[in-house]
Amino acid sequence: MISPLRKVWRQIWPFLIAAGSLLLLLQLGNLQKPIVIPSVPDVFVRLFKELGKPAFWQSLSSSLYRLGIGYPIACLLGGLLGLLAGLSRSFAIYLRSLIGILQSIPPITWLPMLMILYGFGNIPIITIIIVASFFPMALSVMNATEGVNPTHLEVAKVLGARRGQLLRKVYLPETLPAFVTGAQVAFGNAWRSLVAGEMVGGVAVGLGYASSFAGEVADMKGVIMYIIVIGTIATFLDQFALEFLKRKLLHWRYIKGGGDH
Amino acid sequence: MQTLKLRGVNKSFGSLQVLKDIEINVEQGEFAAIVGPSGCGKSTALRMFAGLERPSSGEALAGGHPINGPGPDRMLIFQEHALYPWSTVEANVGLGLELSGVPKSERLKRVNAVLDKVNLSGFNRYYPAQLSGGMKQRAAIARALVMDPDVLLLDEPYGALDALTRLTMQNELLKIWSGSGKTMLLITHDIDEALYLADKIYVMSARPGQIVETIVPGKPRPRNRNSDSFAAHRHRIMELLGIEET
Repeated sequence: MISPLRKVWRQIWPFLIAAGSLLLLLQLGNLQKPIVIPSVPDVFVRLFKELGKPAFWQSLSSSLYRLGIGYPIACLLGGLLGLLAGLSRSFAIYLRSLIGILQSIPPITWLPMLMILYGFGNIPIITIIIVASFFPMALSVMNATEGVNPTHLEVAKVLGARRGQLLRKVYLPETLPAFVTGAQVAFGNAWRSLVAGEMVGGVAVGLGYASSFAGEVADMKGVIMYIIVIGTIATFLDQFALEFLKRKLLHWRYIKGGGDH
Repeated sequence: MQTLKLRGVNKSFGSLQVLKDIEINVEQGEFAAIVGPSGCGKSTALRMFAGLERPSSGEALAGGHPINGPGPDRMLIFQEHALYPWSTVEANVGLGLELSGVPKSERLKRVNAVLDKVNLSGFNRYYPAQLSGGMKQRAAIARALVMDPDVLLLDEPYGALDALTRLTMQNELLKIWSGSGKTMLLITHDIDEALYLADKIYVMSARPGQIVETIVPGKPRPRNRNSDSFAAHRHRIMELLGIEET
């Protein structure tokens, strides 16, 4: 057995090295073109300054607010559609075609239309988060539902399960791993479209907006600082929060030993 | 308490006929077995009693009534234990009781009693992945037994186990059955297993499956696997299945 602290460390150090290598590149750039590219310490000094300003926290919180509404809706919607498609063959055919079309349209393309419809504000951004991130969830859950072990269903039927009980006792637990994987893929899509949406327009507050504004006024330190902030938050949410949730929900998958297979 | 009966049963999947003119008659409290080559349709016959398949023609009866679907008095034990990997032994075994709304405290009492019966006491909190092959199959048997069914249908329950574990499990099964009054129907391709356990053995031919002979070992238990009559019956079944020359 390894101690929990060492386990956490083993997960973290590859990220530290990867992040370090990127910062090293930045530092090399600074050596080449010190006027355009700021040095790493300068960027962090700026970051700590920003951390003390309410405007920074307002950017962060409005971005997280949009994510916090759009992403869960996308997960629920995708999970529901995937489950339905897994149970109904004809709906699955429709959903696959729909997803095929949606995948070929970059989510950001919808933004102008949504802005004409709903004006400036949260709704267009939240909508493209949903459009961009519901389908990995739907595909993942659909495949898992179609692949539910028929014997597991028969066991429940023999034991007297009704339709609703089959759903709760077999379909849901058996598709839960796919739900979690789908949620992880969906998160990447959600985050990308959130930032892209905020950068392109529609809002005047948010991490994406702040970074594009920094670009417009040629504030290189600000641009790089927001890249670091955006990357750090997403890495934390994806690799640690969602990964933790996965291990918590699917703890039976990580049990080893005892049996002979 | 129940009898099991197939009367003039035929079964086809599309153009493929798997069962032909099957007559099976298991008395109440009797231990019957069906042996036959793989793919002969013996599992299909068993699944008719479980209510998971319907005959294309003919009748499947339990206790004299046509079978329209699964029922709590007829429990099927599957070839591969089919425990839910996401549930503990306790939750797996208690599933049927939970589905029928038995309150938690009573459920636990009954689960513990039946775990004791199959030699799995104390394994409540284990997950299937933590159990050996034999223990998994014991848990699967417990999951059926906890419903206190009149009929136990066993679909090659020990097919995936090693030879030594299989012998132990056969003795345990006899212990569970003896004096319980339960009607048992066992599907197996292990001729010795059928001869060791059953009162009556239906020998089935290759597809389309037909009953070619019914053998009644007629010996008191425990049976000696090396006795002359045991060997003679074994020889006869192998002859019927075309494994041994006459």
